Amino acid sequence: MARVYNWQIGREMSYWYPESRPKKQFAAVFDTNKCIACQTCTLACKTTWTSGKGQEYMLWNNVETKPYGSYPLAWDLKLLDMLDAGKWAGSTYQGQTIFESAAAGERVASWRPSDDDYAYPNVGEDDCANQIDGGASFSLPHMAWFYYLARICNHCTYPACLASCPRGSIYKRPEDGIVLVDQGRCRGYQECVKGCPYKKVYFNPMTGTSEKCIGCFPKMEQGLQPQCFVNCIGKIRMAGYLSTPDQARPDNPLDYLVHVRKVALPLYPQFGLEPNVYYIPPIHVPPMFLRQMFGPGVDAAIKTYRNAANDDDLAGLLGLFGSTEQVMTRWVRRGSEVAGVDDRGTTLVRVPLKEPVVERAGFDRVYQIMRTNCP
Amino acid sequence: MRYALMTLIAVSLAGCTRAPAPVADVVAVVSASLPSDPADAAWNAAPEHVAKLLLQDLVEPRLQAVSTPDVRVRAFTAGQEIALRLEWPDATINDLPAAGRFNDACAVQVPLKPAAAVPDPQMGMAGNGVAISFWRADWQATVKGRGDTIREIYPNALIDHYPFDAPSLEKGSAAQQKMATEYAPAEGAGNRRGGARTTAVEDLIAEGPGTLHPAPAAISRGSGVRTPTGWAVVITRPLPDGLSPTSPSQIAFAVWEGSKQESGARKMRTGWIPISIREDQP
Ligand code: SF4
Ligand code: SF4
Repeated sequence: MARVYNWQIGREMSYWYPESRPKKQFAAVFDTNKCIACQTCTLACKTTWTSGKGQEYMLWNNVETKPYGSYPLAWDLKLLDMLDAGKWAGSTYQGQTIFESAAAGERVASWRPSDDDYAYPNVGEDDCANQIDGGASFSLPHMAWFYYLARICNHCTYPACLASCPRGSIYKRPEDGIVLVDQGRCRGYQECVKGCPYKKVYFNPMTGTSEKCIGCFPKMEQGLQPQCFVNCIGKIRMAGYLSTPDQARPDNPLDYLVHVRKVALPLYPQFGLEPNVYYIPPIHVPPMFLRQMFGPGVDAAIKTYRNAANDDDLAGLLGLFGSTEQVMTRWVRRGSEVAGVDDRGTTLVRVPLKEPVVERAGFDRVYQIMRTNCP
Repeated sequence: MRYALMTLIAVSLAGCTRAPAPVADVVAVVSASLPSDPADAAWNAAPEHVAKLLLQDLVEPRLQAVSTPDVRVRAFTAGQEIALRLEWPDATINDLPAAGRFNDACAVQVPLKPAAAVPDPQMGMAGNGVAISFWRADWQATVKGRGDTIREIYPNALIDHYPFDAPSLEKGSAAQQKMATEYAPAEGAGNRRGGARTTAVEDLIAEGPGTLHPAPAAISRGSGVRTPTGWAVVITRPLPDGLSPTSPSQIAFAVWEGSKQESGARKMRTGWIPISIREDQP
């Protein structure tokens, strides 16, 4: 094992290979507060990539309702159960990562889902969303809160899938950090399926190999965001590239949200993979639950996000989510307008901080007709 | 059943002659022809070597506890070929590919070329490789006629639609096949790990752990059947370079127990075992 630096846990840790960061790192921010669980993202991915034989129950993108939902079943609970509940000292994780707590003979601490665990995505997980009658109290097993967690592969800086493969069939692209299974090399040992704590590699029984989210790399190579991003109805997602904290550029939208404002947080940073999908935590969920899921930055992130209405930069940047298919590597706010910009400095999209509101009379005098309320 | 019957006949026939005593090494007996059926009574004329299986303990992931204890090996040779029958105990049939399910399998390994020093027994080493003939139970089931659809694995699987089955695409047309391959990336990359097959055995070459790759040509054939207590698999391949009646060589075996989630590096294997050719029948 090599020693590598993981900024998300604020310390060095053991990893199977030496630190080797890509030239730039594919990354994303998801605003959980805006997700409506419409599953458009899931379908956008499915119709693009996983409509083949053996992919029937394979969802590279899935959206699950927390706290009860999970795909595959109990993916996070089972691992949390295995790991000691490690403590944080400020922003330094003092517990053990999955690499550090691997048992003798194993490369990472992990568990293996059974095929049944993939068979019932979303079934029964919204039950706590029932209407509660006035006056009734609902306190067990928890108060009536829930939120939607959209998940794709995190294209981790220290991928456990890659570390788990005994024959090096998984690689992290040096040009953009996207993690891929080499379909010409995989022999279907399913070590990555077991090793990934997020359970984002899937075994395809018909091809006999393991398959995973490819970050829509053919699109990213053309400066276009992945399918699940551009089809997102809630406009909760932004894809781009993330710097390390010491290289953070405030004019890079992802750097700004993750490093400058610290409003978007990694999913289970304590696992130790430095995952690169960052979540703006839901603001109405008990912080204790969220701290376990997104680390110690939750309270500050929620405070910052709650204040977005008074924060033109943050509100403006959030307004750029879902505004264009193109990857915005830079952004700028000019007065009451924000713009998404590409590497060459070309403005890709302009969004007003506040959408102009036009009030029209109920009766249209020109056409002599009552107006209806359609947009 | 057929296997049991054959064994019974063989045992009674063997009563006339003497059953060959077990041998300390693998001995390939020269024969006019090579039995390809694992249940063929002819196998009883070859001496049996009981090869002790060891844990794969060179690379992670490793096995921590012994699963299959040993594999019984008999061998014949004819012309330039050798046929080996591997038998091992296994109470469960694991021959379905699926997430979290693994297949029973076995392999025969020989040095790639004659060398003064044999390669490392665990997958060879750089510059001194090994040739491997690998048999898998799910491939055997496919060869025997199991269909190539998800419903063979999950009879109640829900399938809305495969884009390459759209009515607008003529079945079997180049356009239809191209689209089907696009949704089966491993196949598109020439790495056929699943689906319909014509053989249950594949030829591989390795020069150290993690280097396993397809051999330039398919030179092995074989088939496996269930026995009352486990599996019997016959693998027939060209005589390894350097093995002749006057020159012994080395051979190694591996067994994967599907019910114990063994695959790849999680396996039971032997060290090198001397193999020789015996011209006279015992
Ligand atoms: S989320 Fe899982 S599959 Fe994706 S890179 Fe990380 S370890 Fe690999
Ligand atoms: S498309 Fe967007 S809003 Fe709809 S479920 Fe997916 S992430 Fe949530």
